[in-house]
Amino acid sequence: MITIQNLTKVFRTEEVETSALSGISLEIKRGDFLTIMGPSGCGKSTLLNIIGLLDSATDGSYKLLDQEMVGLKEKGRAAVRKENIGFIFQNFNLIDELSVYDNIELPLLYNNVKVADRKQKILAIAEKLNILHRLKHYPQQLSGGQQQRVAVARALVNDPKIILADEPTGNLDSKNGNEVMELLTDLHAKGATILMVTHSDYDASFSQKTIHMKDGVIFSERFNQRNVDVFMDAK
Amino acid sequence: MIFNWFKIFIYHLKQSKLFSFLNVLGLSIGVAGVIFAILYWNNENAYDQWNPEKENVYEVLNKFGTNADIWNSSPVPFGLTCKATIPEIESITFFTGWYSEDVIKHENQKWIGKKIIVADYDFFDSFPFPILKGAKKDILKEKNSVAISDKTAKLIFKNEDPIGKIITKDNKPYIVKTVYKIMSPSSVEPDYVFGGLINEDDLKQWGNFNYTLMVKTKKGASKELVLKKMQHVNFVNRTVKEAKDKGVTPEQFVKENGEILIIIDQLATARLHGTKSPNGANFPEGRGNLQLLYIVVGLSILILTLSLVNYINLATASAIKRAKEVGVRKIVGASKKQIIAQFIFETAIIVVLAIIFALAIVELSLPYYNNFLKKSLTMNGGEFYLQLIFIFGLVIVLAGIFPAIYISNFETLKVLKGNFARSKSGIWIRNSMLIFQFGIAAFFIIGALIVNSQVSYMMNKDLGFSGDQVIRVPFRFTDQAKKGEKYRTAKQEILKFTGVQDVSTFAGSFGNGSTSSSGFTYNGVFVQPRNIEMDYGFLDMMKIKIVKGRDLSPKYASDTVSNWLINEALAKKIGLKNPINTIISSGWGNEKGNMKFKVVGVVKDFHITGLQSEVPPMIFVTMKTLKWNNFENVYIKVSPNNLTETLAKLKTYWEKNINPDYPFDYEFVNKGFAKTYEEQVKQKDLFFILNLVVIIIAIFGLFALASFSMERRLKEIAIRKTLGAETDILLKELSKQYIVFCLIGFAIGIMPAYILLQKWLENFAFRIDVSVVPFTVALVSLLILTLMIVLAKAYQVTKIDILKYLKYE
Repeated sequence: MITIQNLTKVFRTEEVETSALSGISLEIKRGDFLTIMGPSGCGKSTLLNIIGLLDSATDGSYKLLDQEMVGLKEKGRAAVRKENIGFIFQNFNLIDELSVYDNIELPLLYNNVKVADRKQKILAIAEKLNILHRLKHYPQQLSGGQQQRVAVARALVNDPKIILADEPTGNLDSKNGNEVMELLTDLHAKGATILMVTHSDYDASFSQKTIHMKDGVIFSERFNQRNVDVFMDAK
Repeated sequence: MIFNWFKIFIYHLKQSKLFSFLNVLGLSIGVAGVIFAILYWNNENAYDQWNPEKENVYEVLNKFGTNADIWNSSPVPFGLTCKATIPEIESITFFTGWYSEDVIKHENQKWIGKKIIVADYDFFDSFPFPILKGAKKDILKEKNSVAISDKTAKLIFKNEDPIGKIITKDNKPYIVKTVYKIMSPSSVEPDYVFGGLINEDDLKQWGNFNYTLMVKTKKGASKELVLKKMQHVNFVNRTVKEAKDKGVTPEQFVKENGEILIIIDQLATARLHGTKSPNGANFPEGRGNLQLLYIVVGLSILILTLSLVNYINLATASAIKRAKEVGVRKIVGASKKQIIAQFIFETAIIVVLAIIFALAIVELSLPYYNNFLKKSLTMNGGEFYLQLIFIFGLVIVLAGIFPAIYISNFETLKVLKGNFARSKSGIWIRNSMLIFQFGIAAFFIIGALIVNSQVSYMMNKDLGFSGDQVIRVPFRFTDQAKKGEKYRTAKQEILKFTGVQDVSTFAGSFGNGSTSSSGFTYNGVFVQPRNIEMDYGFLDMMKIKIVKGRDLSPKYASDTVSNWLINEALAKKIGLKNPINTIISSGWGNEKGNMKFKVVGVVKDFHITGLQSEVPPMIFVTMKTLKWNNFENVYIKVSPNNLTETLAKLKTYWEKNINPDYPFDYEFVNKGFAKTYEEQVKQKDLFFILNLVVIIIAIFGLFALASFSMERRLKEIAIRKTLGAETDILLKELSKQYIVFCLIGFAIGIMPAYILLQKWLENFAFRIDVSVVPFTVALVSLLILTLMIVLAKAYQVTKIDILKYLKYE
């Protein structure tokens, strides 16, 4: 679904040139659950932003659904983004002035979904995420975990091809964090494609594959062995 | 503490130089407007306030029966009878109700004296100017007395003592009896007060309304009582007698002919609130323009309000940026009061700057303002500075208190935790103020458009006459009896000049009306038409049409004896369907009783006074019919070619043959008539300038507010963009609410604009109707302006870097 080849990103200021990504190659297939890890400044967020079409690459190739994304104008990126990508952020990024219902509705509005369908979809996703009783509330009235569930609902409501999660548990306590991770695992089990950035090994262990980055390059890839638990029990 | 406050104030000032500057500028424009209004207000309300007798002195006016005509003149015997029979009246004076100019001589000097008043009886009782030299009482008792102002005395006599010296006017000698000091402003500020106004004939003439009568009552006398007694004097001496002459009861007479109604205006309030008469000002210094005063004061208050609203809006909006500072201050121990004090302190500094700025604006534009008002206002006087301090206090209270309290109420914890920048706090009040601003802007735009179309209507109205290429030249010939003869000779000679196409005259002037009017009753209807004595060919030269019958002509001998023309207005008033050949008994009598006239023609109505009033009923007779010779101007139609040369020839002729003492003077008739709407043209210009000011302030306010509220929404915009919002959708989203505010504000502005402008238009007998056009134009232009500003700002914010706001806020 996503093929990245030799992708580079260079930040230029007047005096310094910083290379955030240097020659990244990566492939994400339909149904993958990938985690990117690495220290601060390693370029993982930049990569995520480029994949999410919030940022553009300097060089290389990024194909989403066999379409070349590098060199696309803002308008084209916005069009692809709204149809295909769902975002989950560390700080939720909900609009405080809008109710939960209205927040979830936003992607549907921008994708010109009909009124009747919108309501149906929102109710369906809210039920799935167990926030049905919160639809009339405003984000500031909810706990962190509930807010993140709203954000997940918003990311999913339009059935995106891929979900990008940027440290989704970073602002949550462990109980709420766990809930969110289970939610993602659940989604993955049902066939969703997920790309996640995290600091936490524990969170990463929920995914199929973890990529480690440092100084703008990928230096290791490994498959996570979820059956490790089985070994532990057998011991 | 104050130093700390000052440091942070300077910091913020430097941080947003443009906004701070515009803020001060906006406020100073508002304050400047109020200063202008105050200067005008003070001046108009100061008239006659120096006069210790202002409460006891009254000007007498007469309202003529059914006719709405009001004159500021009274017959001499009426005044004298009042004085003799009403004990409350202490003294009276008659004087010419306007300033005249005359040639004055002293020894071998000769000059044209201006601001001359001729008076009789106790002029200096009603206008007790301080006497500097000479007699203090009975100043005008001798017919050959004159009193002069100290300035005039200095001019004529230098350092000599003027008392007892002789000056001549009209070749008659007058002895200087008194030197007085002019107190200003006053309804009368004469340079000369000559005695000998009243002659033997005047003493008996109850029908001659020639001079202005002032009465001074005893202290504490009731105005109503005096008025009632004066009305009674009129009834006994006029109505009863006239009824007796006609052989009817007084009641019957009043029913048929109406009655003269006496009006008295107290000097203390006469300048602004005196009775409006259609025949010019009641006093030589004119009347105060109460309407313009109210307009100026009202508009200046509106503009100040607008700039205050702007200030409050910006202050509360930018206060959010300072929420953290306030939080920290509170944590380290500041009380709510101290926070309020700090922000009021900041407002005070800004207001001081704004007032200094405003004073500079006023100082620079005062000459234009004075020119506009025809005044010479200056910024001084204890009263003015007190008012300035009052404005200072008022602006601080209005502009400062609200934002200060708003800021001091920030909740410390919320503020410090962040996220406050996106708080909704105070937003509704800012929005409603924005709506209010839109309302004011709508009011101004609509007002300016309506005033503008009324003025252009007046400028383009068909006046019923054509003054093109016709000049009015004052004809000052002192021998009244020979004036007509002199005119006819002069006419023959002037007509020979190349460049002179026609010469004619009539007793009146275009714009100011006629000089006399006489009442008569026809068919039981009393009318008081204007008397138009005119030369043959006058109507033709002015292209005034005859709708029925014929013009007066030298071919018919009876035209100088018993024929006249009437205008349409008169025919309508007395109900004549077929006026031609109707015999009407006129208001003029000779030894055989009332003179009778036959109507030989009907003149199409033309405007002789401004468009404020209806065309009055008029009658037209030849100059030879009555031989009053009360024309004061000659009308000359000149060819546009070699105009300078023609004028030079006329000048030479005038100075040689007509009156060597006066400089030759002329005015185009069209220009003279344009003076009747000069006032409105000024109001139009005033509205236009204020409109610019208001729109600039409002636009700036809108821009600033839109900036603040959009910047508050940057994160929201970033989120929306992330979710796929495209630029045009975002632009719509961002500008939508301002369009709604604009519409609401406009709706609020409509009613006051409609009502006030209707009221203004009621001043005019000939006026436009208020159509939807100005409202539509105002709405569209307001919407366009709003869209331009909001979209510009919105476009700028949609171009933000999404990542920055998603990550770090």
